[in-house]
Amino acid sequence: MAILDVRNLKKIYTTRFGGNRVQALKNVSFTVDEGEYVAIMGESGSGKTTLLNALAALDKPTEGEIYLDGKSLTKLTEKEISSFRRENLGFVFQDFNLLDNFSVKDNIFLPLVLSGRSYAEMNLCVQPLAQKLGISDILEKFPYEISGGQKQRTAVARALITNPRLILADEPTGALDSAATDGLLKLFAKINGEGQTILMVTHSVKAASHAGRVLFIKDGEVYHQIYRGGGSNSDMYQKITDALTVISTGGGENE
Amino acid sequence: MNKLFYPKLAASNIKKNGKAYFPYIITAIITVAVFYIMRSLSLNPGIKDLTRGSEFIGEMMGFGCWIVGFFALIFLFYTNGFLMKRRRREFGLFNILGMEKRHISKVVALESIYILLISLLFGLGLGIALDKLMFLCIAKVVRADVVFGFFISPEAIINTLLLFAVIFLLVFLNSLRNIHLSKPIELLQSKSTGEREPRARLIIAILGILCLAGGYYISVTTKDIMTAITLFFVAVILVIIGTYLIFTAGSITLLKLLRKNKRYYYKTKHFLSVSGMIYRMKQNAVGLANICVLSTFVLVMLSSTTALMIGEDDALKSRFPYEVSFQASQEEALDSFSESFEKAVTNAGLTVTNKEFSKELSFAALERENYFEVTSEQRFEDYNRLNNLCFITIDEYNRLTGERKTLKENEILIFSDPDGYNYDTLGIFDREYSIKETVPKFSLVGSAIISSYTYRYIVLPSDEELNYICERQQEIYGDYANGLSYNFGIDFDGSDDEKLDVYNKAVEIAGNTGSSYSISSRTAGKESLFPMSASFFFLGIFLGTLFIMATILIIYYKQISEGYEDKERYEIMQKVGVSRREIKKSIHSQILTVFFLPLITAGIHTAFAFPIINRLLLMFELTNSTLSAVCTLICFAAFAVLYAIIYAVTARSYYKIVSR
Repeated sequence: MAILDVRNLKKIYTTRFGGNRVQALKNVSFTVDEGEYVAIMGESGSGKTTLLNALAALDKPTEGEIYLDGKSLTKLTEKEISSFRRENLGFVFQDFNLLDNFSVKDNIFLPLVLSGRSYAEMNLCVQPLAQKLGISDILEKFPYEISGGQKQRTAVARALITNPRLILADEPTGALDSAATDGLLKLFAKINGEGQTILMVTHSVKAASHAGRVLFIKDGEVYHQIYRGGGSNSDMYQKITDALTVISTGGGENE
Repeated sequence: MNKLFYPKLAASNIKKNGKAYFPYIITAIITVAVFYIMRSLSLNPGIKDLTRGSEFIGEMMGFGCWIVGFFALIFLFYTNGFLMKRRRREFGLFNILGMEKRHISKVVALESIYILLISLLFGLGLGIALDKLMFLCIAKVVRADVVFGFFISPEAIINTLLLFAVIFLLVFLNSLRNIHLSKPIELLQSKSTGEREPRARLIIAILGILCLAGGYYISVTTKDIMTAITLFFVAVILVIIGTYLIFTAGSITLLKLLRKNKRYYYKTKHFLSVSGMIYRMKQNAVGLANICVLSTFVLVMLSSTTALMIGEDDALKSRFPYEVSFQASQEEALDSFSESFEKAVTNAGLTVTNKEFSKELSFAALERENYFEVTSEQRFEDYNRLNNLCFITIDEYNRLTGERKTLKENEILIFSDPDGYNYDTLGIFDREYSIKETVPKFSLVGSAIISSYTYRYIVLPSDEELNYICERQQEIYGDYANGLSYNFGIDFDGSDDEKLDVYNKAVEIAGNTGSSYSISSRTAGKESLFPMSASFFFLGIFLGTLFIMATILIIYYKQISEGYEDKERYEIMQKVGVSRREIKKSIHSQILTVFFLPLITAGIHTAFAFPIINRLLLMFELTNSTLSAVCTLICFAAFAVLYAIIYAVTARSYYKIVSR
């Protein structure tokens, strides 16, 4: 069953006085099924971030519809958006986006506090999660005291604590070293294995190779997609590099 | 390269950073104007000719303008530091784009020169324009006739030019130091990633509270004026230290305690604001304490000088109860003086409206509970137990007040100022009187109250008692003893000049009485009192203006820098699912707390400063504490309104930055 359904998404940015029009998304349609692990790849300027912002309801598309669990995101009012985002979406960002003035634990609690849960309840939620993500020891620390990998795992914990329908990850490995990257990708595979739907935007082939399906975006359109189909990560890696080569070199000639 | 490249770049830099530079330039302009006005007033020969004693105003202004100069130095340094910090990235970029530090320095030098020129041009213009106005105001306040004409003081202009050139040079050197010490990479790097959370320092917080309490305690409990003068500065320093400690350590300790309370902390509203405040207080504690201290200065200065100004008529009346007072040691001298003087008044074409005689005895004694010790060996430590005792007989009292009281032997009436007398008996020499009644204030003819002392008016049952007290006192004080004094006070109408003319006659007449005497005139006294309070008042206004401006500027810069720092944090919160409304609410409550905290604290400081300020104002014969209370309240209200306006305006630029 499709958990996310994106139909004919279009986004045009205009400068304030309407002088310049930039088409960031031309016509994007795709669906994500429950339990899927999807990576979206594309070069800088291909519209990845615009797409993600639209999916996160941070930005309204010019045209088209986005349905999450059959509910239209574009029709949400400003008031509903925040709680909707909080309850249904979990975010993992490239630069972690942890708040400096909160301890690791409080950062993870943030969405729950906003939903008005009690401290006892929150504490109950965080313990198993911290165990799973290996951050039990650093819960009382502050973001400036921990490493990048730990920061990203904290961000993942924050995203997961609300049991969201969908995790949106924007270049989650972008600011991590290779060991931390491996750790995070394994973690993503693990939580995906437990049934969590993940949508990840990246241009790291390595990150994408862990996904079940990779969508390629070019010039504001879904250009190509490949499925894992039971292959190993390295098979997937190979497929992705091949696809990228075609897209960036041959793609133009074939058109 | 184009010769005009650097000048153009410097100009466009100022324009580009207009948001930050505009208030800076305005401040510089106003500071220049205020300095020029004060300097020029101090050099203006017209001031001296206003009225007798008005040269004091000039001296006061001359003294004040250097305070302004010093203040300008500190203040421009502070703001420039802020501007330079904001522009680090910009300099880093220039550096990476191939400008050497030498070139950057050149640009900064040109910028400084532009700002200096603009400030001097507009500041002097404004100063010269307002100078005359201020002169007229002063003339009005000291009630002198005004001579028209324009006065421009070249010396004041040169002083201003030199002073501000030097200040800007120092500020520029500081900027240079900043530029040279920094590495391009540092310049480019975004502001501190991951700021350390401040530590709660309970001991320092407690120390702050103690300092504050000490300052308050001094103010509230100090009764006597000599101690008040010495302890005033101790109290001020204690309160300043206390303010800084409480703002820095106290606030964070309190917030951390709140955070420890899990049930309080983990509520949506508190969660965002408490954590936000911890962060904010770390950055802003010192700035806020600055604002608080400055605001307190403004409030205290404005309220006391206004009270002084408004209360000067009262002060004059209490210092000089009669238009002309005459005091002689022999009764005959009094009679002959009063007779010839009344004649002189009538001859001058003026009418006598009121006159009074009395026989009084006054001397000083040390208060020891209900016994008054008279000793010729007074030590300084005893100062605050020193009382002025004024004795009159019951007959005199009844005549002066129109009462019909009687006293038995050994009974007395007493009036006591400023503190009441709390015993049933009063002992002096070998006498022990019982107090029949504490009477309300009545005026004696001879002994005008000098408010800074404790006064006891004692009404004795008979002339014999009065003489006895007088003799005993003379035995002890010897050459320094006072005798019985015969006093005459008279009021008459007429203009100031007429009154002074008559007063000059009075001095002549008094000289011919052949007795030792003293004589005083209210009109003559006015001319020494008014210029003094006028100069305090104007000093208060000038410095008050500057301090208010400083406060505005600090608030404004705080808002801007806060805005840029908060922007990022609020973006993150939005992504995690905090609604715009919640963010706005949280911002609002935090900003409100942060900016109104200093105002409220300043209000509390001022309230606690009130008692000691009141004591100090007694030195200027300002006895009307209701008046000073009203002045303080009005000043606070006006300041609060102004503060709220500043807040509203600057908060708008803050929201613009955050929500962009």
